[in-house]
Amino acid sequence: MVVFHEPKHGSSEQEWEDGAGHDPGDPRRGRAARCVVVDGATEAYDAIRWVGQLVESFLGFDPAGGRPSLTPAAMDAWFGVMQERWVQNAPATFATIYEERKFHDEGSFATLLGCEITGLDGHWPRWEAVALGDCVLFHVRGTRVVQQFPELAPTDFGTSPDGVFTQPAARDSMRARLDRAEGVLEIGDRLFLASDALAQWMAASSGNGSDRLWRQLGVLDHPGPFRKLVARERGRGVLKNDDVTLLRVEITASDPSRLVVCR
Amino acid sequence: MYRQTFSRSTPGCIVFLIDRSESMQAPWAGSNLTLAEGAARAINKILLELCVKSTKEQGGALRNYFYVGINGYGLCPSSGFEGVESALPAELATRGIVPLPELADQPIAVREEPSVDAMSVRSKVPVWIEAHHGFRTPMCQAIATTGAQVFDWAHAFPHSFPPIVINITDGMVTDSPLNGADLATWSERLTSIETADGKALLLNIFLSSAKQPGVWFPREGGGLPDPGPTLFGISSPLPQPLIDNARAAHIDIVPGARGFVFNADLAMLVKFLEIGTRFEVRDR
Repeated sequence: MVVFHEPKHGSSEQEWEDGAGHDPGDPRRGRAARCVVVDGATEAYDAIRWVGQLVESFLGFDPAGGRPSLTPAAMDAWFGVMQERWVQNAPATFATIYEERKFHDEGSFATLLGCEITGLDGHWPRWEAVALGDCVLFHVRGTRVVQQFPELAPTDFGTSPDGVFTQPAARDSMRARLDRAEGVLEIGDRLFLASDALAQWMAASSGNGSDRLWRQLGVLDHPGPFRKLVARERGRGVLKNDDVTLLRVEITASDPSRLVVCR
Repeated sequence: MYRQTFSRSTPGCIVFLIDRSESMQAPWAGSNLTLAEGAARAINKILLELCVKSTKEQGGALRNYFYVGINGYGLCPSSGFEGVESALPAELATRGIVPLPELADQPIAVREEPSVDAMSVRSKVPVWIEAHHGFRTPMCQAIATTGAQVFDWAHAFPHSFPPIVINITDGMVTDSPLNGADLATWSERLTSIETADGKALLLNIFLSSAKQPGVWFPREGGGLPDPGPTLFGISSPLPQPLIDNARAAHIDIVPGARGFVFNADLAMLVKFLEIGTRFEVRDR
């Protein structure tokens, strides 16, 4: 599993408001692999904190707990826990009237795509995913898209109000709108999880019948080429200037032989 | 045209023109406020919403997504005479159009109001402008003054969404022609100012103190009582972002609709200001 990301053009690295993370799991101990991409809304309050909280908890890295199963009931309960923790971790005092009002009246909001991969120690690995909003998973075999989840056309992006909100009043709608899908994996398959701008570009490029897209994304091995790709496509006007995140999962027959760490 | 997002590198500009003539002291039917009080309250509400929208990080300063100006015409409170003057707080008034974060730091008062949020008993509400009224309605001078401010701003931010000027009035212009130009000519001069993203927008709202049927964004002004046709004539056609905002507010928009509302009550004024100022902010 590997993550590439790039902030909006004109923003600093610290202003990247997406989040992504992965946990290779431990099949021998029954811990499934997980990965997640979260996209903080541009106008949300303290989106970076909300995004970080969701990522850490979904993966089970938060000492306070988390790692919900992906059933609707468990996800709903997790949303409630996340909202309570958001309030518990609120600043004791706010710097301005505006900040206090934004915290209470609007709060934060992020789209979420969480995925769990099971059966990695057997013959039938599977993925299962949940989504609220327009982060997208592409299940790719060779250069063919086996499944896209959620199934959004390029024109559908940016139109959905779905996401994970800090406001308890939104929980009913989150419960109702949570989307779920699953698929069967084969050796050599890849999963690409992307935040909205990149996913929109990928959906459009994939729809053009181009094999090049998946070959290109499949061999990315360093942040540098990813950065160049993003800059080029933004320059062409086909990739919206937004934070972009790509998380790639490769299903291999054995553990990777190399570990590359990039700064 | 009219596609630019509001960001720190391409901030937007919103200028309010507020009629402070004598007739603005009339009670507003359906509320316990005068027209002047209702208009001031509506502008304060919108400014607060823009400040909240510009707030991002915990402990961080507001982001500079908006420049704001407020010009009053009629009574000038600082001199006590008729004319046009900035209604911004005194420390900012000489500059005409200022970054919103600076305005946010300098309300003239902060009041406490009952909060709808059960967790806090009182909610702090900043106030930037107060109600004033007196004299006649020098609208030409107001638009001329605003035009000069907006011209300088557009020169400084040539790639931004064009300036939006929102005129709130209850009366007939009393200084037309001014320097040989009538209200329509001054308005044309204002709306000929442009950025790379389009021409400046002039939106008008006519307040009615009596309960009258309101008219939203008409495409013709001929059938309206005075000063409806005049104000319709100087109002800009609605660009797509404002059409989208209006439709999101459940208002039907016909092709050719102009940024004009006639016989508005307080609720219509607030909705009109929201439609005219609601933009996605996005850093780029």
